Amino acid sequence: MHGSLETLKVEVDLCAPGWERIIDPSPPVDIIARDIIFGEGPTWDARNKQLFFTDIIGDTIWKWKPGVGQEAVLAPSVKANGTCLDLENRLVVAGWGGRTVFRLEKDGTWKTLADKWQGKKLNSPNDIVVKSDGSVWFTDPPGGLLNVGMVGHDLQRYLETQPVFRISPDGKDLTVVTEDNIYPNGLCFSPDEKILYVNCSRERVIRAYDVKADGSVGKARVFHQYSGPERGVPDGLKCDVAGNVWCTAPGGIWVHDPSGKPVVRIKTEGHHPTNIAFGDDDWKSLYITMIGSVVRTRINIAGMPSR
Amino acid sequence: MAWNFELVAGPCKGRTGGLAWDGKGMLFSAVAEERILRYDPASGKTEAFRKWSGRTNGIAIAKDGTVFGAQEGGRRVIHFLTDGSTAPTQELLDGAHHNQPVDVVVDSRGRVWIADPYNSQPPFGPPAYPFLPHASVLRMDNVGPRMWRLARITHDTLGPRAVMLSADEKTLYVADGDVERGDVCQLFAYPLNAHGSAGHCRTLLTFAAVERGIEGMCLDSDGNIIACLGWKKSGSGPAVIVVSPGGTILETHPAPADMPMRCAFGDAGLGSLYVTAGDGGLYRAQGIGRRGLKR
Repeated sequence: MHGSLETLKVEVDLCAPGWERIIDPSPPVDIIARDIIFGEGPTWDARNKQLFFTDIIGDTIWKWKPGVGQEAVLAPSVKANGTCLDLENRLVVAGWGGRTVFRLEKDGTWKTLADKWQGKKLNSPNDIVVKSDGSVWFTDPPGGLLNVGMVGHDLQRYLETQPVFRISPDGKDLTVVTEDNIYPNGLCFSPDEKILYVNCSRERVIRAYDVKADGSVGKARVFHQYSGPERGVPDGLKCDVAGNVWCTAPGGIWVHDPSGKPVVRIKTEGHHPTNIAFGDDDWKSLYITMIGSVVRTRINIAGMPSR
Repeated sequence: MAWNFELVAGPCKGRTGGLAWDGKGMLFSAVAEERILRYDPASGKTEAFRKWSGRTNGIAIAKDGTVFGAQEGGRRVIHFLTDGSTAPTQELLDGAHHNQPVDVVVDSRGRVWIADPYNSQPPFGPPAYPFLPHASVLRMDNVGPRMWRLARITHDTLGPRAVMLSADEKTLYVADGDVERGDVCQLFAYPLNAHGSAGHCRTLLTFAAVERGIEGMCLDSDGNIIACLGWKKSGSGPAVIVVSPGGTILETHPAPADMPMRCAFGDAGLGSLYVTAGDGGLYRAQGIGRRGLKR
């Protein structure tokens, strides 16, 4: 359900003063992967100069190395969704259909980090980020039990709420960070990690939380409320080095300044972006996972390193 | 003889849908609340059978006590297992995702018959799967633990809203057409051969262009079809009718509410008729002079 990749263009609109520091008006497009059904979970692995991404419906975790090509890391993948790297550069995965958070160990085995909350199965971990103290933060909406074609073994939801969870740095404690959101999806930290951003796909809002030293957060404030008739909901969420917040959202990839004001929107007409990752040596490549493909474009500002 | 419906549960938020009598209680779908509820006529109480059902509409109880549900929101038939978990089934027909199931029945061999129309309410999640170029009755056969094979049964339907098998399971009744999509609604009867494929259909009823056709149906002990149909918006209004196997309308009763959805017999000896409706109610008529077919 997408247009031809041969005619894919990256364009910009909703340009506010100073938008040129974000991206050029006609940035290049490289097609990274074509034969995927539903791209998600992009993470740039700087140490090995490769991109991880998932194909949820295609049920595979992939890696792609420039000049080398694409290789399956795990298939079937329990319909894996978001990915990130931990302090030891291990891939940590939001297991979506499999309802777990798991990690790729150095010996090639997979270790479950979280699968239950108070004895009940998680909903379906969607997106995930590791803080510099080693704690793992993830959103847990129920889409992996409901969405067409993206579900796993057990589709029954058991949790009353849709939390953002945190796994402590030692891996022993799973705690609820917030239950504010009706459908939490993307999440990321500000560059100084003093703010946690979480978007809610149902309310089409990005919320900001002050992060406390003990790993809890303060009261939510609305960072940006999307409105308007365009299709799409907030999904992937990342920060660049200047603290701008990037969100795949209605009509394209929105870039907000640290106050929440939109600076520019990056459009991929006919193609539906799901998530983004900054990458390459200068962190100025923008990898975009989409329904049907993964593409790369270039930007003028460096993204926050994914490790 | 007038049928006197009473509201026994609800009204729920939004429409109610599928029904299934479990021997002591009536399961019914509160579709928009995304719950399946169970009404216990002995106590008069209604409790949740399953929460977060993803807009499940039609439901059917299998011999082993598990329940199949037509999950409109997820575009799938789901299988509520007795341990409280919910299994997916087969969502692909020859490699392509089917449409948006609204009704299911299970036959004596455990095969699941599915009404798979298009639907006005969009499904959950991003639009990664196109709809099929046809909207048909499908049949799902169990071929191993949690393994199913899906086959297309009808080749001439516009969008089936309800499916039902005759007492001897040699006839498949299909209520076809969605007036809101501009379809002419009809009631079809297909002869089934031993392997479960369908022969040429007989048209039992054809409704006027403005008439909301049959949304749900069940069988009485004489093999007659009890069917919910009609709306206040146009035509002759919301009704519950009794149709002979040959297609003669034997009785017409005013429905207890607008947009009657589905119906099923329950209570002792299957002596009461339950009806769901667009107003979110569960209604019951006792002593209607008919009983449900005991399968």
